[in-house]
Amino acid sequence: MRIPCEWLNEFVVLDIDPHDLAMRLTMRGFEVEAIEEYRPTFDGVCVGQIMAIDAHPNAGNLTVCSVNVGLETLPIVCGAKNIRIGDKVPLALVGARLAGNFLIEKRAIRGVESPGMLCSEKELGLSDDHSGIFIVPEDVAVGSKLAEMKGLNDSVLDISVPPNRGDCLSVLGIAREVGSILNQRAKLPMFKLDTTGSEDVEDRISLAITDTDACPRYVLRMIKGISIGPAPFWMRNRIQKCGMRPINAIVDVTNYVMLELGQPLHAFDYHALADKRIEVRVAEGDTAFRTLDGEDRKLVAGDIMICDGSGPVAIAGIMGGENSEITASTKDIALESAFFNPLSIRETARRLGIRSEASLRFEKGVDRDSVDFAAERAIFLMNSTAGGTVLKGKREIHEKGSGRSIFVSFAKIIDILGVPIEHSGIISALRSVDLHILREEENGFVVSVPGFRHDLEEYMDIIEEVARIYGYDHVPATTPAGAQQVQKRNRKEVYLKGMKEYLTSCGFFELVNFAFFNIKDIESFRILPSDPRSSCVPIMNPIGKDYEVMRTFVAANVLKSIAYNLNRGAKNLKFFEMGKIFFLDGSSLPVEYPSVCFAMTGREREYFWRDPSPEYDFFDIKGVVEGLADRFGLQISVSRSTEEFLNRNRAADILAGETKIGWMGEIRGEVLRSYGIEQTVYCAELRSDLIVQHGSVDAKYRPIPRFPQVTRDFAFYMDENTPVGAIIDRIRGVSPLITGVGVFDMFKKETKSIALRVVFQSFEETLTDETVNALQEIIIREATSIQGVMLRT
Amino acid sequence: MGETLNIDDLRNRIENEISPLKTLEDLKKIKATILGRKGVFSEYLDALKLLDKDQKKVFGKEINRLKASTEARLNEMETALIEAERAKQEELTWIDITMPGKVPVLGRKHPITQTFEEIIRVFSSLGFAVAEGPDIELDYYNFEALNIPKHHPARDMQDTFYIKPGVVLRTHTSPVQIRVMEAQLPPVKIISPGSVYRCDHDVSHTPMFHQVEGLMVDKHVRFSDLKGILSVFIQEIFGANTRLRFRPSYFPFTEPSAEVDIGCVICEGAGCRVCKDTGWLEILGSGMVHPQVLRNVGYDPEEVSGFAFGMGVERIAMLRFGIDDIRQFYYNDIRFLSQF
Repeated sequence: MRIPCEWLNEFVVLDIDPHDLAMRLTMRGFEVEAIEEYRPTFDGVCVGQIMAIDAHPNAGNLTVCSVNVGLETLPIVCGAKNIRIGDKVPLALVGARLAGNFLIEKRAIRGVESPGMLCSEKELGLSDDHSGIFIVPEDVAVGSKLAEMKGLNDSVLDISVPPNRGDCLSVLGIAREVGSILNQRAKLPMFKLDTTGSEDVEDRISLAITDTDACPRYVLRMIKGISIGPAPFWMRNRIQKCGMRPINAIVDVTNYVMLELGQPLHAFDYHALADKRIEVRVAEGDTAFRTLDGEDRKLVAGDIMICDGSGPVAIAGIMGGENSEITASTKDIALESAFFNPLSIRETARRLGIRSEASLRFEKGVDRDSVDFAAERAIFLMNSTAGGTVLKGKREIHEKGSGRSIFVSFAKIIDILGVPIEHSGIISALRSVDLHILREEENGFVVSVPGFRHDLEEYMDIIEEVARIYGYDHVPATTPAGAQQVQKRNRKEVYLKGMKEYLTSCGFFELVNFAFFNIKDIESFRILPSDPRSSCVPIMNPIGKDYEVMRTFVAANVLKSIAYNLNRGAKNLKFFEMGKIFFLDGSSLPVEYPSVCFAMTGREREYFWRDPSPEYDFFDIKGVVEGLADRFGLQISVSRSTEEFLNRNRAADILAGETKIGWMGEIRGEVLRSYGIEQTVYCAELRSDLIVQHGSVDAKYRPIPRFPQVTRDFAFYMDENTPVGAIIDRIRGVSPLITGVGVFDMFKKETKSIALRVVFQSFEETLTDETVNALQEIIIREATSIQGVMLRT
Repeated sequence: MGETLNIDDLRNRIENEISPLKTLEDLKKIKATILGRKGVFSEYLDALKLLDKDQKKVFGKEINRLKASTEARLNEMETALIEAERAKQEELTWIDITMPGKVPVLGRKHPITQTFEEIIRVFSSLGFAVAEGPDIELDYYNFEALNIPKHHPARDMQDTFYIKPGVVLRTHTSPVQIRVMEAQLPPVKIISPGSVYRCDHDVSHTPMFHQVEGLMVDKHVRFSDLKGILSVFIQEIFGANTRLRFRPSYFPFTEPSAEVDIGCVICEGAGCRVCKDTGWLEILGSGMVHPQVLRNVGYDPEEVSGFAFGMGVERIAMLRFGIDDIRQFYYNDIRFLSQF
């Protein structure tokens, strides 16, 4: 809401700098987002009065005006037709500067010297109006500087009004808050409606309402015989500063009063109303209607319509119809001021996609008690700006609402806020915002809520008002009472944090991607329809193809990040991402699991002068998985993977016991190419919750052996297809004295050859040669008992 | 053999042996030749035995003196040669210390993660436990129970992703408050970090972002306690000299509600583009838990009260690291990720 200080000053005396005011409003919950300064762009223009208008001796379309500027009267040549004797006008004297830095010089126009120029609003930079000379309001003194005229020097506060404070979408509403800040009372505008005419509204129009829930308050007032022209400058100036566009005197008055009092109004062309009848109805079925912006709208059951004798003439509170719009030829006006059901207005406005200034206020609730005051105010202003005759009386519906009152205990206020405010301080704080105390009781008081405060419903709302007015600044910062509880270690947190630490120390950079998939990701990864990962949770209102379903695994997002970086010149990448994956489930909510995915492509480093760095392969990713398992006390085994998106020869499923907890391997080229990746990527993804479930992070001390360990090396020939893992497992099983089996070489000439180092360790004694020799024999026997394995001697 | 010994002869022989000496190896050989059991001196000492008593005394003294000085001289030479040898060996180990070292290849946590961890660290130290809830949430928990009724603007389709009627992607982490309070009796003291979603994707909005929510409910929890806790938090995150202010605001689920601003970390209050010339930056929303919210979980607002707060993790990360575009967090550009 944009509030011109010059306008605000009519309600309260603003003896405060706009910046200070802005700060204090902000600290009241009305954040001032900007202060816009309005200053005249002209200089050297004074106010003169036309004393005489004479014909120009040499030009029929020009006149020579005698302009009184106080101490002297000057002859000014002028071409405009709108000036009359007695009008006050802006006179730019020689040396003046107008908008666009236009300098006034002494010159003769068709042989007559003119010591200055009369100006239009456009020439003064006040508006785009160049149709005639700007007629200065009568109350401005002759000879004064135009630049000092009220309204031209102004500060406009751009206030972010909280959504629950619809009452402050008006100058009056803000004035009430400012009054409370400055210990003043906001004054309502004073005017006297001329109702000396003989006609009565009741004889000219009828009013009916079928649903007083939809519309409990409705007032119709009328004015006849107006002539529509532009609104006076001061009104247009204020409307413009509030961010609206002046249209004509009648429309401008309705907007002006809405901005002033917060009550939206609607003016109907009286003669367009069939049967001279207004009926407020709730639509029962679909109804077609053309609004004044020329759009065809469809109203549905529940929308509130304003109808005349033949059908709808307005969508209540939202927009009028083309059929009853005010036009240049409108003479007689029926003016509507009403309270419509906020929820209904909101529903309709939202469905139609119309967020008008009117609907914005109606959907937050207007002041039922000021509906007629606003109508009177508008009729008064129409009368004074467009002439005509005001009709006596009004048509109205007035369903009395019951005023709200709320009990609040003093103790509760102090207990909630933590500040010992005096009772009298509480009462006067509330009074300053028109919350009056109906009665005081022993431990509290009952406060009455004015009609414009729809946000105050229970005691806490009143406590908030006390805090707001008392000032949050004055509330101390305290430490909560009560014993400090020690928070238990969250096992899952420890794991997830530990995994991130492990992976970063392995050289992986963490990614954070949106948890969405494009449904194409499922196809790209060749996930079969029978696979739960193809049952993505869909989003009803996605914002784009890439965000249409929730992801069921993370790897696709990681590939996208790899592609993004490869496209920008990176060659070697190690990324990981930990995040949720989502699956459709029979129950009301889908299921969510945490997943960890890591991927590597290229090599560890592009170059190092001393030694080259090899390209990543399967055993790099497998090593990271094995390290992760080791770090989290997880016993894992591998089996050939059946994942369609992996190169089967270089991929494995990761098992904890019988449970598959993830996969790892080389992503298939076709999959990579569908993400625009041309280089090999090794990737793994595991369910982190299963790592937590099967693992352990608690370190446990094992005694350091006091006896030396013994190592023996073995070499075997073996068939290509015999897994080394089988030999290792077999050897491990030989004796508990065998504490380690490692592969230290593998090569192939005619047959594959493998070299193993076995570590023997006893915790009880120094191992003798005989013991180790005996074990060695068993190891050889066991290993070579495997099909295709032979001792190499 | 005469009855005298020619000492000069001896001196010359020694000199002839020593002067061509170049290497440590030579020196060892010569030491043996001169001082050894079958060396030059032994020869002379043997000859000494044949002399008479007086002569023995005179020559014996001379020989011994010469022997001592020769020994000292050889030792000195040995030290010098060892030193020279060491210097020569050392020369061979010379390297160019200006060649680049091999930097360990470490990864980094995402700046959002780092910020999460920092926030959690501070609140853990203040006794808050971490609680979590689902990203896909029931309308009831995301809105209804938080006093956001059906007609509230926050429920508009343009803000909320819907999975199906009644099920949404949570628009804030506040539903965790409700789940925690439903599951336990007061006292409650939790924070809930997590992802949240809104249908917005432009220069300053991403469809997914992150929040940390906090909640404390107990007997006699006061608005002043909220100020106390958040002041500690902000000064811990942004520095002890950070100015902060609490300013009235509106949230459906808190009352009184407060927006917390910190003195602009960019311009330090002078006014800049980031703080829109106000000198202040909004950093989090907070307030006393609305009595209706307490009633919704079966707590009695006459018995207990509480405060809640929520903050955007990206916002805090942007201010801490000076990042000016929220979308940077989600491009995952390695040149971005490696900066933190």
